Amino acid sequence: MFIINDIIALLAANLILTQALGTSTMFIAASGRKNLIRTACVITLFTTVASAFTYFVDTLMPSSVRVYATLICYTLIIGVLYAFFLTVLYFFGKEKFNAYKKYIHISAFNCAVMGTLFTISEKAAADDSLRNTVTYFLKGLEAGAGFIVASLFLAAAFKKLNSEKVPASFRGYPAMLIYLGIISMAVYALK
Amino acid sequence: MRKERYIWLDKMITLATLSLMAFFYYGTHFLATAIICVLTAMAAEFISLRLMHKKIDADDLTCTSDALIIALMMPASINYLIAALAVIFGTVVAKNVFGGRQNMIFSPAAAAYLFVLTSWGRDMLMYPAPHVHTGLTGKAENLVNSASHVFNMTGKMDYTDFEILMGNFSGPCGAVSILLLTVAAVMLIFRKDISFGAFFGTILGTAAFAFITPMIQNRTDSVKYSLVTNMVLFASVFIVSDLRIAPRKWYFAFFYGLFIGIFSYILVLTTAKENAVVIMSVLFTPVALGIRILEKKIRLADDEDEEEKPAVEAKEAAV
Amino acid sequence: MNNRKNSVFDGILGDNLILSSLMVISPIIICGDSVKNALSLIYAFNSMTFISLIIGSFVPKKIPYTIRIIIYAVISSLVYIPVRWFAVEFYPDSIHRIGIYYPLLAVNSLIVLQSEAKFYRMKKGRMIISLVFYIIGFDLVMLFTGAVREFFAYGTILSKVADINTTVSGLGMPFGGFIFLGLMCGVYRKIRSSVRSGQTESEE
Repeated sequence: MFIINDIIALLAANLILTQALGTSTMFIAASGRKNLIRTACVITLFTTVASAFTYFVDTLMPSSVRVYATLICYTLIIGVLYAFFLTVLYFFGKEKFNAYKKYIHISAFNCAVMGTLFTISEKAAADDSLRNTVTYFLKGLEAGAGFIVASLFLAAAFKKLNSEKVPASFRGYPAMLIYLGIISMAVYALK
Repeated sequence: MRKERYIWLDKMITLATLSLMAFFYYGTHFLATAIICVLTAMAAEFISLRLMHKKIDADDLTCTSDALIIALMMPASINYLIAALAVIFGTVVAKNVFGGRQNMIFSPAAAAYLFVLTSWGRDMLMYPAPHVHTGLTGKAENLVNSASHVFNMTGKMDYTDFEILMGNFSGPCGAVSILLLTVAAVMLIFRKDISFGAFFGTILGTAAFAFITPMIQNRTDSVKYSLVTNMVLFASVFIVSDLRIAPRKWYFAFFYGLFIGIFSYILVLTTAKENAVVIMSVLFTPVALGIRILEKKIRLADDEDEEEKPAVEAKEAAV
Repeated sequence: MNNRKNSVFDGILGDNLILSSLMVISPIIICGDSVKNALSLIYAFNSMTFISLIIGSFVPKKIPYTIRIIIYAVISSLVYIPVRWFAVEFYPDSIHRIGIYYPLLAVNSLIVLQSEAKFYRMKKGRMIISLVFYIIGFDLVMLFTGAVREFFAYGTILSKVADINTTVSGLGMPFGGFIFLGLMCGVYRKIRSSVRSGQTESEE
């Protein structure tokens, strides 16, 4: 029962469905079912690891410059991770590098990752008990899981949303937006 | 597979009887709401089909049954404009934008209900008491919370079994007539108009969890009241078991319904969320779509096996 | 000549940032529910995108792609500082309205990912004109979305109460933004295809 309750709570806190974070990235990745899920997995990797590092930025940065300097610090963290993940992938072999690098390119700099970092930082600022690396890491993972869930939702309806039966002007992106909107409406009704 | 128009006809018969009961309890206001909903649905359907350059045939009348379901899920005091907007949303946004009845993703009635719930929550969840007839333009003065809300919040249900069976308690117009809903469910199941697996799964999921983790001390009462409140029975018949949405194989449909039942019961138990089953039915739409993809893959694999069988047999015979 | 004109003005109708490529849609879905919010978003987006893209166009193409992307992101994060400072000094309300979407606009996919494909292959002058039209296209959609959502969701126009009996409060919510944008995208595509087919017929 508690697991089900947690699933419902996790769904109600989904960043794509409640704050629309990362929707543009999802649509860029929405050229195929597999692309969607792989991109969401790489985004999860970014949100999880980057969140753990942002903890240090949040604690070490003086409050007088926080408003202006947070973004550049987060950007640098993501930039370093971006280069690091590409390097790691390169060592797995050229074929894999060529096949998977696009997911890293799409997933690094976007509202999904950056938005997650800012959201976690905001929550931690409001509640001091959240200020530790593990919580940041877990919150990043939770946000990433939300992206995977949302991408699975989209992947399930992918064929229907791109079907020839859908009017040409609504086929693809517009239908996806409306589909996500109705799911988001149900998530809103949960609250 | 039976033509949609025959399924629609059966559904309309059951919905008409529920409407009759609602008319008895709430008078002409409900009747006007139902008529407005049906006419709006027809207009929205025909206009959007024209815009999509699609031919209109008798199967397109299914929009009227969806409209009647929407009308029956609303309180008798609902503003006519809100009812009409809900129907337009259900018909155009939740159905025809995705390609209409040949490419259904959401139950139009469930999506329309959520649309009204999220935009006009107060209008949607306050009800006139039964037998309060306001006439066509009058407004009910003393709106009350539904019996479901009271049960969710306090665990109390101050109605006799007979009143519950007859639907003589405050709530959505047509979703409280338990006896009629039971008869409708049996009829529609025997006529194969709804998915038996999904219906049975929802009822079993709700009942099982209401027994295991009861909302009130008496487990039997917990099961009984959990099934008759929060539109569980109504949604099980007309939304979750909708053949256009539910998985095709009965056992897949059963698990689909079972999880909707369990999740919605737990949502009611932990947050006292009224009519959670409708919310869950929309949230489980991707699950239904995923299961349908799985069913298709299994069917294709079976077909391939069937095609290979004669060749293998011929090979074995030759050996 | 005709083709050249089309590509420069594409940002408004032919290849609208929001309606065609679905870029920068998160702030619109969440914050684009009133004209005031729309104006705040327009200020933030216009200034950050224009300045970042102009500066970014000077980044040498010899640098590896990954490093270039990081440089673009760093440039826009630096541009964010004066833009925000300016907003704090002269337009403080706008920051509260947009919240975390303010910094997110700085790393929008147009600046970081799409800038090379859309702008940096052009000559500078042409790029600037094209960029201006892309920004105008964004602004028009943003204003329209803000005005329509504000009117129907809250029954107000520029925060002044309008004479409307039934408001659809859901339109002001994130899900309302999703649905409204989806419908608008569909209508936009319809208009675009009719315009294009009209153009083709007239050419023939």
